Amino acid sequence: MDNLLFLISSLRWQDIVDIALVSYILLRFYVLFRGTNAFRVLVGILILWFFQQVAVSMGLIVTSWVIQGVVALGAFIIIVIFRNEIRNVLLARNLRSIFWDFSSKTVISAIETIVQSVHEMSQQKCGALLVFPGKEDLEEVVQAGVPWNGALSREMILSIFWPDNPVHDGAAVIQGNQINQVGAILPLSRRDDLPSYYGTRHRAALGLAETTDALVIAVSEERGDVVVARDSQLKIVKQKRRLEQILQEHMGVAVKKGRESRREKLAFIAAALVSVVFTTGVWFSVSRGVDTLVTLQVPLEYTKRDLAMEIVSTSVNTVNLELEGSGALVKSIRPDQVQVRLDLSKSKAGPNTFSITPKSISLPPGIVLKGVKPSVVEVELDVLIKKELPVQIDWVGHLPDHFILEEASVEPERVEIIGGKRMLEKMQTLYTEKVPLDNLEVEGILTANVALNPASLKIAPGSEERVTIRYVTRLRNQ
Amino acid sequence: MKSSNARLLFTLGLVLLFPFTAGSQPDSTIVLVDAAMCEDIQSGAPQNPTTVFSIERRTAVCFTAFDPVPQQTVIYHQWFHRDTPSARIKLTLKPPRWSSYSSIQLRVEDIGPWRVEITDSQGNIYHVLRFSVTE
Repeated sequence: MDNLLFLISSLRWQDIVDIALVSYILLRFYVLFRGTNAFRVLVGILILWFFQQVAVSMGLIVTSWVIQGVVALGAFIIIVIFRNEIRNVLLARNLRSIFWDFSSKTVISAIETIVQSVHEMSQQKCGALLVFPGKEDLEEVVQAGVPWNGALSREMILSIFWPDNPVHDGAAVIQGNQINQVGAILPLSRRDDLPSYYGTRHRAALGLAETTDALVIAVSEERGDVVVARDSQLKIVKQKRRLEQILQEHMGVAVKKGRESRREKLAFIAAALVSVVFTTGVWFSVSRGVDTLVTLQVPLEYTKRDLAMEIVSTSVNTVNLELEGSGALVKSIRPDQVQVRLDLSKSKAGPNTFSITPKSISLPPGIVLKGVKPSVVEVELDVLIKKELPVQIDWVGHLPDHFILEEASVEPERVEIIGGKRMLEKMQTLYTEKVPLDNLEVEGILTANVALNPASLKIAPGSEERVTIRYVTRLRNQ
Repeated sequence: MKSSNARLLFTLGLVLLFPFTAGSQPDSTIVLVDAAMCEDIQSGAPQNPTTVFSIERRTAVCFTAFDPVPQQTVIYHQWFHRDTPSARIKLTLKPPRWSSYSSIQLRVEDIGPWRVEITDSQGNIYHVLRFSVTE
């Protein structure tokens, strides 16, 4: 109990926000995908994962391997097999409803619009065919549709099925509050038990209802009847209220009253609680697990250096950080998450001493700094100046014994370099890179780069980095 | 950088060509007329002037000649391995003209670029000779 109280009292406000955000994201997933097959499979995978943990703790080697394999494939399976279902869920909602909305107001208003429009077309005996996809993808069944992607409105529906409109004979596919396509051709039913007064429009409505889980509304041109095709059945709907109910049931917005409504509220509360408990459990297991100590060697980084100065030398290039955190967090530390930065803005030319404080160190959340070695760093800075120095050839190797190198000259004789003032004051000569003697002719021309040592030196703009060497050899007088 | 082999004639104007090598000009009453790195001195003259000495030859010699030398004076041969002073050899010049030389024994650790600065007693530079010691 004391441990629990200690854990709760040690929570930071960031931890509360962390848990709340992840819980909300989980809850949003539930709200968006509840009732879909993908959600059921996801729940199944979570249960499998739980059993895998149990199997691991019980030492069931093969069982845990098998379950682990299935769980690992789970995400892939969900995305591949249920891609259309996931797309339908996301397409049918706007951004606000994805992130915030818990109700189905958009769908309800869309249903009202549809019912009103269908009623008007029925009154005017204006033939119409409206398709409302279920969870199955209609892409391979519905053909030759004209992409529309327009907002749903009464006027839009009436104008689509206006007899003079070129697409009025086809079906309009409606998803959420959008008309996705118009003039679509649906598969015709081959049933021979249909009443003779049902024409092609009704056969098309039934044909799609037979092959998919879509709901199709057909408005008769001759009689003005409103017929709903669903699950291989045609049903005449005379009342607007009944049509609204059918659409609500199909779109998952069934009007719930009394016990049903309470059940849904309870399910929602349970989902919210599960999200919070699950997230809290994961959070505590990750961030408050068994403490692990680790020592990391981290390179020192220097910031805000005066551009007129350069770092000449440092007492150390890396520091050892002693870190503590839960095993999971410590294992997941990436090198780029741990940085030690020294602020050189107040440094001066010459030796400077810096203490490494917690402010200089950035760590990933949940990791605690226990110590730094060394905690003090000596940094020597120098003012950058230009200096022109003579260039000397750095010969290496061996001439044949009877030869001497009588003459050698460098062009240009002097090269200007940029470097630290204190360093350049001591330098009197620049040397070329090693020039081998072994392959020299009697006389000739070579080229060589100027060796910049230390590497912080730079050739000044306008100076040559490569020099030309002219040499003459001759026989040695014995 | 010119060859140490070439016999160089130095005049007062030569000093003006290298004003950056010293804080002030060297004693102009004496004139350096010859300076060379060589393997040996025979009959007062440098033998086998060269810019590269193998440590197998064991010795590197710096030869200098001054004319005129109005009065007895001293000069220095300051030997540097890279930019590190290695030897500072004092040489006395006597009127009316004088040639002198200094030398170092070559060891394995001497491999690398060298220079010899010929200076007066104040450290003012008459000339710099550059050479390499190789295997």
